[in-house]
Amino acid sequence: MNVLRHAWRNIWRNKRRTGITLAAVTLNTAILIMVYALMDGMIKHTVHSATNVVIGEVQAHGEGYREDLSFYKSLPDPEAFLEKAAANNIGAAPRSYGFGLVSVGSKSAGALFWGIDPALEREVFDLDENLQSGRFLLEKPEQGIVLGKKLARSLHAKVGSEIIVVVQAADGSLGNELYTVTGILKSVGDYIDRGAAILHQDDFRELFVSGGRIHEIAFNSRGKIPVEEVAAMVTPANQEAEVRTWRELVPMLNDMVRLFDTVIWIFGAIFFLAAGLGVMNTMLMATYERIREFGILKAIGTSPWRIVSNMALEALVLSVTAAAVGLILGLLGTYYLSAVGIDTSLFAGEFSFSGVAFDPIWRAAFSVEAAVVPMVVMCVICTIASLYPAVIAARLDPVRAIHHV
Amino acid sequence: MAQGVGDSPPCESQPVSLSLRPALGFKITACLITLLLALLFTPTMARAEQQVLTPKEILDRVDDLVRGDSSHGKMTMTITTAHWKRSLTIEGWSKGKDKSLMRILAPKKEKGTATLRSGNNIWNFLPKVKRVIKLPSSMMASSWMGSHFTNDDLVKESRMADDYDFELTFEGDKDGQPVVEITCIPREDAAVVWGKVIVTVKKNDYLPLEVRYYDEDLILARTMTFEDVGPLGGRILPRRFIAVPADKPRESTLIVYEEMAFDLELDDDFFSLRSLQR
Amino acid sequence: MIVRLAWRSIWRNRRRTLITVSSIGLGLTCAIFFIAMADGVYVQLINDAVRMQAGHVTLEHPEYRDAPAIDLYLPDTRALRTQIEKMINVERTKLLILGQGVAKSGVGTVGVSVMGVEPSVEAKTSPLVNNIISGRYLEDTDGSLIVVGSKLADRLHLKKGKKLVLTTNDVSGALTEELCRVAGIFETGVDEIDGYLIQAPISFLRKLYGFPPGGATQLGVVLKKASAQRKVIKWIQPIARENSFSVYPWQNVMPELASYIKLDRGSNLILQAILLFLILFTIFNTISMSVLERNKEFAVLKAIGTQSFHMRAQLILESVFIGLIGCFLGLLVGGLASYALQIWGFDITSLYSDEISISGFAVSPIIHAKLSGSMLFWLVGIVMGATLLLSLIPMRRATNVNIAETLR
Repeated sequence: MNVLRHAWRNIWRNKRRTGITLAAVTLNTAILIMVYALMDGMIKHTVHSATNVVIGEVQAHGEGYREDLSFYKSLPDPEAFLEKAAANNIGAAPRSYGFGLVSVGSKSAGALFWGIDPALEREVFDLDENLQSGRFLLEKPEQGIVLGKKLARSLHAKVGSEIIVVVQAADGSLGNELYTVTGILKSVGDYIDRGAAILHQDDFRELFVSGGRIHEIAFNSRGKIPVEEVAAMVTPANQEAEVRTWRELVPMLNDMVRLFDTVIWIFGAIFFLAAGLGVMNTMLMATYERIREFGILKAIGTSPWRIVSNMALEALVLSVTAAAVGLILGLLGTYYLSAVGIDTSLFAGEFSFSGVAFDPIWRAAFSVEAAVVPMVVMCVICTIASLYPAVIAARLDPVRAIHHV
Repeated sequence: MAQGVGDSPPCESQPVSLSLRPALGFKITACLITLLLALLFTPTMARAEQQVLTPKEILDRVDDLVRGDSSHGKMTMTITTAHWKRSLTIEGWSKGKDKSLMRILAPKKEKGTATLRSGNNIWNFLPKVKRVIKLPSSMMASSWMGSHFTNDDLVKESRMADDYDFELTFEGDKDGQPVVEITCIPREDAAVVWGKVIVTVKKNDYLPLEVRYYDEDLILARTMTFEDVGPLGGRILPRRFIAVPADKPRESTLIVYEEMAFDLELDDDFFSLRSLQR
Repeated sequence: MIVRLAWRSIWRNRRRTLITVSSIGLGLTCAIFFIAMADGVYVQLINDAVRMQAGHVTLEHPEYRDAPAIDLYLPDTRALRTQIEKMINVERTKLLILGQGVAKSGVGTVGVSVMGVEPSVEAKTSPLVNNIISGRYLEDTDGSLIVVGSKLADRLHLKKGKKLVLTTNDVSGALTEELCRVAGIFETGVDEIDGYLIQAPISFLRKLYGFPPGGATQLGVVLKKASAQRKVIKWIQPIARENSFSVYPWQNVMPELASYIKLDRGSNLILQAILLFLILFTIFNTISMSVLERNKEFAVLKAIGTQSFHMRAQLILESVFIGLIGCFLGLLVGGLASYALQIWGFDITSLYSDEISISGFAVSPIIHAKLSGSMLFWLVGIVMGATLLLSLIPMRRATNVNIAETLR
């Protein structure tokens, strides 16, 4: 304790020097913590953007459905999945799909029809918030339809347009119906933009004579539960179904996210390098200035070991204090960046890339790692940087050390 | 007309053009197509005299079936797939090579649904919503009324003689009747996906019995069979027609002709959008 | 005189100078490397996309952009093309026909995107040419040969030499079809390309769609330097207007890519700003530390009657020297490191133990840096300016040093 107090007093002997060093370590730690959290947040942001609009963290399909999208390969027992998901508090949205023709005036195009439950969809996913005009489907069936952006454009359809739909129903008969466009989606991924025509589950059932077939259930815990666990939690026993995580569902996206991660961590490494070098230089300079002092200490008979250990202790006390202050500042900054975030739409409009619609708000992500790693790195660098000149001083003979400039 | 649910293969993301039913781009020679649609039968087949004909002449004979002015008929189309089976009663009219109109009489759900083909275009009239829609080219490959025929098959014009080289590969008895088998090899530059097509016709009257389509690897892709030869519209013709995709042998589309009339007076105006909606 | 004094003064305490110089130099190195790497990532992305698609600048029928349709084409581009190709900064021009169609083989039918290209031009511009996995890319004399994506080939059981019938509507809306044969199969790793794209010689598609000779849906201008885009658009605009064509930058043609890059650049900008702040802070720290430690020296100088004007001039000069040396060091190390990364690139996939499936050009796994003169200029300017400004703050205190107090 005594040693610590001594070190503490020593540190404040030269207030200006200590002030500068302290400021350097504090600020660098705080910034590193924030940058770490921001980068972590950016990765989470990408994953979140990838999964939160429609894909979800996990999807269940009937066996073989994804190979040929056959209408008849639906989930044999969707209720069992929904019950398991509800029991584990994981959001689940059941969907039906079928192909057909949409036509407005003289324009027509092929489309993939979705039969959804608007209430669940709204609760579990963010598709309803991604409309460029109009509104999402209501909870009651209303003969309304929501179109993908490019599909609407190629049909010259607007909100309120009457859409003729022709499909081959599940019993082979010809299903046709008139719907009114209630909303047009923003760009949320190419396959939706170009082909999605979204209906209420009840309307879909009537159009396709589908008998309530469910082709897909998308699960989303909104990042609260790791994806693999979600997959395990929602899968009932003895199901003839395929359960996949988004990483398997969109492997390209998974690879993209991984590449993105790597790039971000290379950036992060540059940050650590810059901050580390900065602190090291400041500390080196501060210690070198004290070589004369070490010379005097040595002249009065202090052992070199004592000088070095004193110095190390001082550096440690200084850097821990600074890092602690830095931690507080960093956490405050991170809190702000995670609560408010940075609105990236300031420099980029709405967009999607490779099937991922990005949330425009970039938020930092809290994690223990993000707080601890920068602190430890800073303290270690400080102590080492101060040891080097101290060791040199300890080995110098006192006279030279005193005259050392 | 409606492409659909059926066993449509995936088409996750593609543009306006969705990919449809696989393996069923029944690109049929004109004689078959028109048979199927009960159009264009002409009386040129009347003379059934025995002659020695070259393979090309034989197929020209078959092709001659289509060189008519107009026709009117009624048929039932029974479609069997792995998931459902249903029958449609259809009334059809045709004029020249490129005009036809078909209207569904039964079942009730589809009654009044009509398809108009003029040139290379197809329009559908949907009585339920009282609208006419024009089929985009991207839908040409999709199934017509859920059958094993595509919209594309409806608009194909006769190019048999232009597209293929012919060879008489068999002449003799098959299943107890004398037949002639002609192998059609697509020409190098013909817009034909098949590796070869084998047409079997009866030797005495050159009525078609069977057509088999092989893909480029010479694997059978589909078979069409003609049965029940009898009087139809004053002619002797096959009255049943069955198409079977080779990869789904349990599926089929069967067409049975009930009545037929040839060389009627039909206005061009009859094949207009206005009459489509009547 | 002062210059020599300053120069000698900074070398009197070599260690201190070295630390300050290294702070500046290493800081600059980090900044250069960081920005060059970030820039490199999307330069590559833009470059690949632009070369594969319709160039840095695209000419189209005025109505095409809003509702692309095959009948909205450029009837004759030949005269315009020669004019554009004469402009400086233009590497070459490429004609494209973009259309939709249905591809049929004996096995099945798939809706496809059809892209008509001039094979010899495409071979020099498009990265697709390097992604042929079997057979070969198109050649000018190919007639009705095509290249198809790997997934499409799987679905239709296509191999080199196999037949395919392409059905579509021509410019008059009539149904038309042509036979083609597969010359090669490409794989890019992007489903939308591998599963649905067919490339064919433009002459073949003109026949299919009924275009006049020289007709195309797009005239793309590939630039030598992406930065010349605005200038080139300005030059093309009047002659395009005569032909009543519209001119678009690639950002309008590929808005998703443009906004992705904008977003990426935006978040990078934030990180760059933080990094720069960090570096400047370190420079400030080292400078103020070194100046403060020299209080005694200043006191002596003042005591022997040196004017504070002279002292300041000397200090400023010292900062200039230190800044210059630091910047030189930073330029050397940062520049060389970035240059090496620019030339050789770094394959991130080597960091993964397992196979990563991204191939081709959607997201290139090989990172290349991109150095630019203006970036270096700005960074050096900022660091230099900051060094000078930051040295002013402690300097005021140095020249106002209390002689008696300090020398005691």
